[in-house]
Amino acid sequence: MTPAVLLAAAPLPLLQNGLMVGAILFSLGLVGILTRRNLIVMFLSAELMLQGISVSLVAWSRYHGDFGGQVLVVFVLSVAACEAAVALVFVLQAFTRTGRLDSAAWQSLRESTLARSVDHEIPAIDSPLPVFPRLTPAGVSPEADADAALQREHV
Amino acid sequence: MSPSFLLVLVPLLPLVAAIVTVLVGRRLGSRAHLPAVAGIAAAAVVAFVLLVITARNSGGGEHPRPVDMVTTLWQWATVSDAYVPAADSPAAVPGTAVGADAHAARSFSIAVALRLDPLTATMLMIITGVGLLVAIYSIGYMHDDPGYPRFFALVAMFVFSMSMLVAASNFLLVYVFWEAVGACSYLLIGFWFQKPEAARAAKKAFLVNRVGDFGLAIGVFLLWLTYGTLDFHDTLSPDGTILPGILGQTRLADVSGYVGGAVGTAICLLLLLAACGKSAQLPLHVWLPDAMEGPTPASALIHAATMVTAGIYLIARSAPLYMACPGALVTVSIVGTSTALVAALIGTVQNDLKRVLAYSTISQLGFMFASLGTGTLLGFTAAIFHLLTHAFFKALLFLGAGSVMHSMGGVIDMRRFGGLRKLMPITAATFLIGSLALAGVAPFAGFFSKDEILASLHHKGWPSAHGEHGEHHAFLPVLPETAAAGPTLHDVGYRGVADHGEHTIAAADPVGLDALDRPGVWQALFWMALVTAGLTAFYTFRAVFMTFTGPLRVPEEAGDHAHESPRVMTLPLIILAVPATLAGFVLFTTEGLSRFLAATPSFTAPAVTATAAPAVFHWDLALQGTLAAALGIVIAAVGHLGRRSDGPQLERWLGPVRPFFENRMFIDQLYTAVIIKPVEAVAYLAAMFDRGIIDRLVRGVARLPVSVGNLMRRLQSGLVQRYALAGVVGVLAIIVLLAWRL
Repeated sequence: MTPAVLLAAAPLPLLQNGLMVGAILFSLGLVGILTRRNLIVMFLSAELMLQGISVSLVAWSRYHGDFGGQVLVVFVLSVAACEAAVALVFVLQAFTRTGRLDSAAWQSLRESTLARSVDHEIPAIDSPLPVFPRLTPAGVSPEADADAALQREHV
Repeated sequence: MSPSFLLVLVPLLPLVAAIVTVLVGRRLGSRAHLPAVAGIAAAAVVAFVLLVITARNSGGGEHPRPVDMVTTLWQWATVSDAYVPAADSPAAVPGTAVGADAHAARSFSIAVALRLDPLTATMLMIITGVGLLVAIYSIGYMHDDPGYPRFFALVAMFVFSMSMLVAASNFLLVYVFWEAVGACSYLLIGFWFQKPEAARAAKKAFLVNRVGDFGLAIGVFLLWLTYGTLDFHDTLSPDGTILPGILGQTRLADVSGYVGGAVGTAICLLLLLAACGKSAQLPLHVWLPDAMEGPTPASALIHAATMVTAGIYLIARSAPLYMACPGALVTVSIVGTSTALVAALIGTVQNDLKRVLAYSTISQLGFMFASLGTGTLLGFTAAIFHLLTHAFFKALLFLGAGSVMHSMGGVIDMRRFGGLRKLMPITAATFLIGSLALAGVAPFAGFFSKDEILASLHHKGWPSAHGEHGEHHAFLPVLPETAAAGPTLHDVGYRGVADHGEHTIAAADPVGLDALDRPGVWQALFWMALVTAGLTAFYTFRAVFMTFTGPLRVPEEAGDHAHESPRVMTLPLIILAVPATLAGFVLFTTEGLSRFLAATPSFTAPAVTATAAPAVFHWDLALQGTLAAALGIVIAAVGHLGRRSDGPQLERWLGPVRPFFENRMFIDQLYTAVIIKPVEAVAYLAAMFDRGIIDRLVRGVARLPVSVGNLMRRLQSGLVQRYALAGVVGVLAIIVLLAWRL
């Protein structure tokens, strides 16, 4: 299927470098998903993982001289795009319900005996707000979120 | 209408009556007595027919033939090849092997078999006769009781159990029905179980009986080991050999068929323990006075006439076994006589009419044991004779006491009423007859039977006076033929009999009981018995005078009850008064009972018949007995007749001894301290162990899954990232695994 002239097999160092880059991207993405609390950043990390996979696929494809890998990359990219659309809708919904992009805002499926996981140190950047001028209230103030004080604002 | 069928009917009819009463008693209401009374009446008729048949078969005359009709109903249990008798043990066939190998493996087989012989026929007649009169009496006595049907069911059940006990032809069956009568007694004593004293008395009776039952169980085990069978009668094994039963004709005919020495004495003492439990002898007598908490007809039936005589029956039935162990015999007499004396002493200070009669029962049973222990045909016959007359007059006295209690509104303390002879003439007259019989005044029934008991004791104490050379229990004249034939089946260490053809007492006597069989001991027993006879007359007439003489006093609980009892209650009293008056005289002068009982297989053992003496009326003993009785009556009259009948008169003279008697010689307190408290302590320790250690262990085991679950719970945190982490860790684990494989 492959035209004989098209792809010369790449030498091994090229493959190794390519796989290294792909692995680095993938692991960075994995760490990002596991560590970051911001929903959009989590999604970003997931995309990063996908890109790492794509790089690996391309490296393998060059190595074997087979276009199949690169064809799969095109598939992956299109799937990633669709997935991005769906995921961002989900993040939007999550933000609408809690007003925050914090994955730790969603703990209601925990075991009933466990306590809610809270932040023990709120960084200085989030501590006392600067004093704002007091304006005459216009309209109804929104209800304060009871749990908001327990967790940091900036994620 | 063969005798076998009739013999089965006697227990069967009351059993059916009991079942019917249980099933439909509630619906019958005030007629719930009908099945029980009908069943027992029918059984009484059949028992009388059996008595006649047995009397006719025994032949009468000078040498009655042993009567022994066995009916086997069904095979209860069989274990084949259970026992291989040693070649020289008494379990082997004593020389009358019919067929092949006499030492083949024996099977343990229990057949439900009944045996009819004169002793059984007599006991059946007593049980059903007195049972019938008590049942009729109870129609009036238990009239308003809410447990009316239950009472009659229990009485019928009891008559069934007791009839089976005396008819059973197997020691294991005897044990079963021994327990059954104990259970019926428990149920009847605790009839009014809502009353705490009654419940406690029932428990006490059952537990004390249990001690005796333990003795009987071990005795049955020893009997099986020694004799290889538990049947009384001879049975045929499948290969044609006669398996001699313990009390069967084959073994009885053989002079040395019974084991003496240590094993034999152990068996006899264990049976004595059982008899002490059931017949309320020292030291197991404590339950009988408390058993008076039950309804009076139950006391009359069970604790006067029938159940307590089961012990006498057992020992009389096992007479051949006892004849091989002179030490055991003298122990029986010692136990009986001391019990008689102690009970009589305690009975002199009782104020409760029923308690007086209870101690009187214990005392009279002691007399019977004393007579059984003499080991002579006269002794055995006298014991059964006294059993018969005692059944009549004691039942009469108890029913009379019940009549008094009924009309005094439940009050039975003699200090609170008096002078009832005008109020209740029939009760007073019959009670007087019963008392005269109990005190042993001629010509009432008790006189003759007590005279025979004193005669048997006298025979043993002063043998020369009766024309016998004073010999010890040389009941086994080793016949020259068997000695010459070399070592026989029975010449082994079991009894240590030297096979030299000479008179020997059983040499293996580890406990030294045989040494007690001396005329000196028997003389002491005779004097104790005579003193007890005097005391009997004293306390009996003290009760009579306190209750029936003097000015009329009625306690206020009587209300409108204070009149003579209805006909249904006084009729049994009158009926019982007849044999209480005449039975002794008739049976003694015609020698009917002694000839009749001599046809019992147990009493045809050569050991027993060797002691037969011609029945003579001993004028000197009669005089001594009558003097003792008269002395007792006079002292009672001095203390309690007429105007002095309302309180403790003579007891003041007893001084410091009196609280000792009043507290029943502190035996109950002794048992509490020595037995009950340690058992309670052990139970407390066991409870602590159970709660502290075992419960903790169980709860600890229960906590384990809960702890593991708590650990697993922490994984479910609700945080998405932690779930993602779990997934990543799992993937890593798979990768490592695969990498390792490769």
